[in-house]
Amino acid sequence: MLTRLPLLLAAGSVFPISLHANAELAIPDAPAEFLINHCLNCHDEVEMKGDLNLDFESISWGDASEREVWERVHSMVDQGLMPPAKKPQPTDEELQAILPWLDESLLTHTPIGGTPPRRLNQSEYAATIRNLFDLPDFKLPLGFPRDTEFHGFNNLGEGLVLSPPLMEAYRQVAGKIADEIFPPEKAAPPLSSRSAGPEDMVLSFSAATVRGDALRLVSQSVTIMRSCSWASRIEIMASGTYRITVDASQFLPSIDNPASGFRPFGDEPMRLEVRARELSASDRSDVNTFHLLKEIAVSSESPETVTFEADLYKGQTVLFRWANAAMDHEFNALADQMGAWFEREPRFLAAWQKAVYADGDISKSRSVSLRGKNGWEIVTRHLADPELDMSQATMDTPMTKALLTHIRGDQGTFNIADALCHYFFDAGPALELHKLTVEGPLKLVDDPQEIRRKEIRGQLVGTRQPGQSDEAHARQILTRLLPQAFRRPVDGQTIDAYLAIAQEHWADGFSFESGVHLLIRNILISPRFLYRGVGENNWDDFDLATRLAYFLTQAPPDERLMALAGKGQLSAPTVLRQEAKRLLPDQPDSAMIRSFTGQWLDTNLLSEIMPDAVFKFSDAEITLAKKEAEWFFTEILNHNLPMTDFIDPGFALTSRAFAKDNYQYDEASPESEPVYYDEELKIERLPLTRGGRFGGLLGQSAVMMATANGVDTQPVLRGVWVLENILGMPPPEPPKNVPALTPDTRGTTTPRELLTAHTSEEACASCHQLIDPIGFVLENFDPVGNWRENWPKGDIPIDSSGVLPDGTEIADITELKSWIVAHIDLFSECISEKILTYATGRVPNYSERKEIEKIVQHNQANGQGFQDLVLDLVTSETFRTK
Amino acid sequence: MNPRGHTTVNRRHFLKAAATLIALPKLESLASAAEIAAPAKKARNFVSVGSYLGLHQNAFFPKEVGRDFTMPETLKPLTDHRDSFSVFSGLDHRAPNGHKAWTNFLCGNTPNAYSLDQMVADQIGQDSRFPSIQLTAGTGEGTKAMSFTKRGIGLPMIQRPSVFYNQMFMSAADKSRMEHMLRSGKSSLDNVLDDALRLQKSVPSRDRDKLDEYFDSLRSVEKRMEHQIASINDPVPTTDYRLPDSDPITPNLLMEAETLMYDLMALALENESSRVLSMFLDGLGQVFSIDGEPLKAGYHGLSHHGNDPAMIRDLVKIERSHVQCLSNFITQLKEKKGVDGRALIDDTIILMGTGMGDASRHSNRNLPTLVAGGGFDHGRHIAVDQSDPNAPLLGDLYVTLMQKLDLEVGSFSNASRNMNQLFS
Repeated sequence: MLTRLPLLLAAGSVFPISLHANAELAIPDAPAEFLINHCLNCHDEVEMKGDLNLDFESISWGDASEREVWERVHSMVDQGLMPPAKKPQPTDEELQAILPWLDESLLTHTPIGGTPPRRLNQSEYAATIRNLFDLPDFKLPLGFPRDTEFHGFNNLGEGLVLSPPLMEAYRQVAGKIADEIFPPEKAAPPLSSRSAGPEDMVLSFSAATVRGDALRLVSQSVTIMRSCSWASRIEIMASGTYRITVDASQFLPSIDNPASGFRPFGDEPMRLEVRARELSASDRSDVNTFHLLKEIAVSSESPETVTFEADLYKGQTVLFRWANAAMDHEFNALADQMGAWFEREPRFLAAWQKAVYADGDISKSRSVSLRGKNGWEIVTRHLADPELDMSQATMDTPMTKALLTHIRGDQGTFNIADALCHYFFDAGPALELHKLTVEGPLKLVDDPQEIRRKEIRGQLVGTRQPGQSDEAHARQILTRLLPQAFRRPVDGQTIDAYLAIAQEHWADGFSFESGVHLLIRNILISPRFLYRGVGENNWDDFDLATRLAYFLTQAPPDERLMALAGKGQLSAPTVLRQEAKRLLPDQPDSAMIRSFTGQWLDTNLLSEIMPDAVFKFSDAEITLAKKEAEWFFTEILNHNLPMTDFIDPGFALTSRAFAKDNYQYDEASPESEPVYYDEELKIERLPLTRGGRFGGLLGQSAVMMATANGVDTQPVLRGVWVLENILGMPPPEPPKNVPALTPDTRGTTTPRELLTAHTSEEACASCHQLIDPIGFVLENFDPVGNWRENWPKGDIPIDSSGVLPDGTEIADITELKSWIVAHIDLFSECISEKILTYATGRVPNYSERKEIEKIVQHNQANGQGFQDLVLDLVTSETFRTK
Repeated sequence: MNPRGHTTVNRRHFLKAAATLIALPKLESLASAAEIAAPAKKARNFVSVGSYLGLHQNAFFPKEVGRDFTMPETLKPLTDHRDSFSVFSGLDHRAPNGHKAWTNFLCGNTPNAYSLDQMVADQIGQDSRFPSIQLTAGTGEGTKAMSFTKRGIGLPMIQRPSVFYNQMFMSAADKSRMEHMLRSGKSSLDNVLDDALRLQKSVPSRDRDKLDEYFDSLRSVEKRMEHQIASINDPVPTTDYRLPDSDPITPNLLMEAETLMYDLMALALENESSRVLSMFLDGLGQVFSIDGEPLKAGYHGLSHHGNDPAMIRDLVKIERSHVQCLSNFITQLKEKKGVDGRALIDDTIILMGTGMGDASRHSNRNLPTLVAGGGFDHGRHIAVDQSDPNAPLLGDLYVTLMQKLDLEVGSFSNASRNMNQLFS
């Protein structure tokens, strides 16, 4: 065995594992005796319980699958799960005969490291392309094959398979990128003239309508769908200068019209904005995102023609807005306008009161069917009604006040404004558009996309030296591009191999650019681009740089990391730690935090879960719940908070309203405006008393949702989830032939009754003793994480008490949390394993878990900071080894 | 073009002959033998059309059950095709409620699961130029999909008629570009492979096995490219049909987009570019005009009608326009002939439906469903009593549709029976 060693080493690619490859060692007497007394009755060749046979005289420690079996033996015996409770239990002395021996053998024979080549996963691949070609907007095409999840993560070497459809997708994307940078030439379109009349214009929501030969615009808003109209049959095919002709006029109200009083249009001209809109842009866009081409002053009641020249880009059409329109969609402005109108015209007020509060009850507003023209017709009917109830139609009544408040509210504003604009459509003032003509292109121009493309081409191709040949220039490009694409230095042979691609292509008569186009297509399907951890040196500082960068940023290593790797300095623990600290994500929407928390806590599932209507949990709340989990992780990481804060933090990061609705949060708001972590979602740091029901991962809405299905809860699933993701004790797979236990918690029988059946079964008991108490404690949280005292049907009180395997009696969630806090090393080890799995792309083996234990012990003794722990994990041997 | 085409034609000739025999009087002994020998005629194509905002039940379901029903408001444009379609009430997938679960339309009890059209495409679409085509008329916000692969991946939909048109009737310029990409791509692969082999040799043996996945995949892609190069000069269908010079992608042109997509689908079925087509009818928020008259509110706003009759009237107006487009499509399929000379309508099952039974309440019960063509005995309103615990599910109807398409299936999603007794 030993004589083969030098030969293997000479091959230059030896794993430490080879040292032990043939280490078939006899099982010593003492552990053998333990096996005979406590294991072989069930786990021998004949019985094979759980498909497990332990009846051997020796063990091939070099065989990873055999090691796995003995690892499991060690963990089952160590945790007291085996032998089963009903069998005679081993004495401490007996345990001493097997556990230390197994531990030592496993440690000796399990080498650290061994991640297989890791294909870039979807998000890494997309980020890598964005970085490499400076294409920040690049997105994968819809339908791009998904990655397989393996051990809970989508970035593990073993799980990331490469299939023919994926390879085809890579090829297609490579072609698209090459086309993006060197677009195929297209013939310039001929000069043409296209016209649009009112029927060819978009009415949008309530922005415009057609009256006779004119399109009427009546309102202003920054949102185009409530103010603008655009031509629907004109889409510019070639970016260029165009001649634009607009026919427009004023439509003014008659003198005795009630509206004429409140915003006169005496001498002030109507300002018509002409803008360029991307036809494919969202109809909810802000008008200011569209380039202003021209502002036209419209001051005549008979149509006037204005002609001007402007640049329009490919994919654009012409958009119109009346900038100083009489009606304003903004909620305060609308309420002020309507308030003034109500004051002048009590009947107008009474008609709106009747329309919005049909029953006369101001707690019940009706505005959905008031939308649009229908709404205006309803108001008009009331206006004409001689019996119209005028009793509330003064400015000081509660109904008037309620109505104005309603108009100021978001949804009320939209619905009422959408109806009110029909008044203006009929009565004016309105800006009328009669005809639009677009002629061109008079000359072609570069659009921003083309200008950007030229920049990218410039960066990629560089400048050609005077007299430089195609070959020399291409070599110059490859010398710069290949190391970036392959994330390591590239030897001459590899450069020659790619250069040959371009040379052969030129030999077939194609242009220099076509050759570079082909190079891009090939570089992007090279295994050196698609995989990481395939460097020729087996493992070096460049591989480490790549691992660190994708771990913390989900993107390829930056220049600084590459430079440090080039100098061979990165693997020095102090340097590595410093770089990790530099790259540590500190925002909840950073790629690493979203990706890691989404997979570890399973909150990625939230987008697919549809909470049952009874929980009244809105889409906005789902978004908030997910954001809370991300902010929570970020906060603990950023501030190096102690590990126990994951469980019992003394704060929550969400909006006050969400905490009130979902976490029974009743602390009074502070006097001063809170400091928002997220202005839009109103997320703030809410103080909590430690030791309570809420706060921490357990009970957090996102986690409780992810571990239910939106409709009901399953205590077993939640129990297993906590064991796997919080305590790091994943129970073994349930025995075959046993149906998955999913009690229907909606029934009148309590899940506890249903579960008693199998906890009394010997085969099930050993694991369910561990799973069930945790699952039952969490039954107090409904499928969206709200607190409940009773099971939904039958009003049976939830009994959340239980006994943990170490004999601790727990009554409820607060006691479970205290138990975890007291055993925080379990959680620290669990999250460390998850982090290293995610970072290294392999599941930590026995020796690596032992290293994690040591790191956690060190962390426990040194302040328990989470950021410290992450940095210690990065500098671990496990992280630094292939 | 279609290697299975010949056998189908032959079998069909035989079936035609058999059917004639049955019809002849005084040949009872032969008739009974023929009944056993000749299964009902099979359909060849499948078209599904789904309306995102539902189809207002009161205007869609006929009041009467069976053959002598009065044509309901929404279905009036189909009056001339009365014997070519059937309407179903009381069917659904018992799926969750809400917009999010809309995809239960083709996916069954579990939204976003393997959809009916993809099941069909995986069986009968593989020999066509396009195994399946997904289209959308109009596009609202957010990415939506109606069709899902076996692995639950939502398929992107073509929004621009010109894109579908150019794929089907490829221009000479597009063709030569495609050929250039394929030829240059393929000839350069050897260099990449050489470099990759050099890389593979340099890594440890365990890693070599992992990289085998790469080589296997690349070789398979290479084969595919070879196949594409070999078939690049196969004739591409031609047409006199011309699209307008801009794509109707703005909300006011929803009905125009729908009309063009139906036209292109009819062409695709005629020239056998694809046998499985689906079209999503999106629910836009914007107000647009029908017959020159602006709607009282946006389509989406109208769907939340709150039982206001004026709102419902305009909603039904939109839905009737959808059905008018469908009716024109059926007319085209009656005029166009398939390869065996049979009218396309007899070869094509059209399923029009929705994943939402009542958009006003976001209820996904009792999904309005209509089946046209495909050689079924049509002309009926088949009403299912949902209160009967043994009532058939919409999935049972889907099994019947799949069997008509000659698929050997007995279940779909939560359904494991069929409706052959009621509908064949």
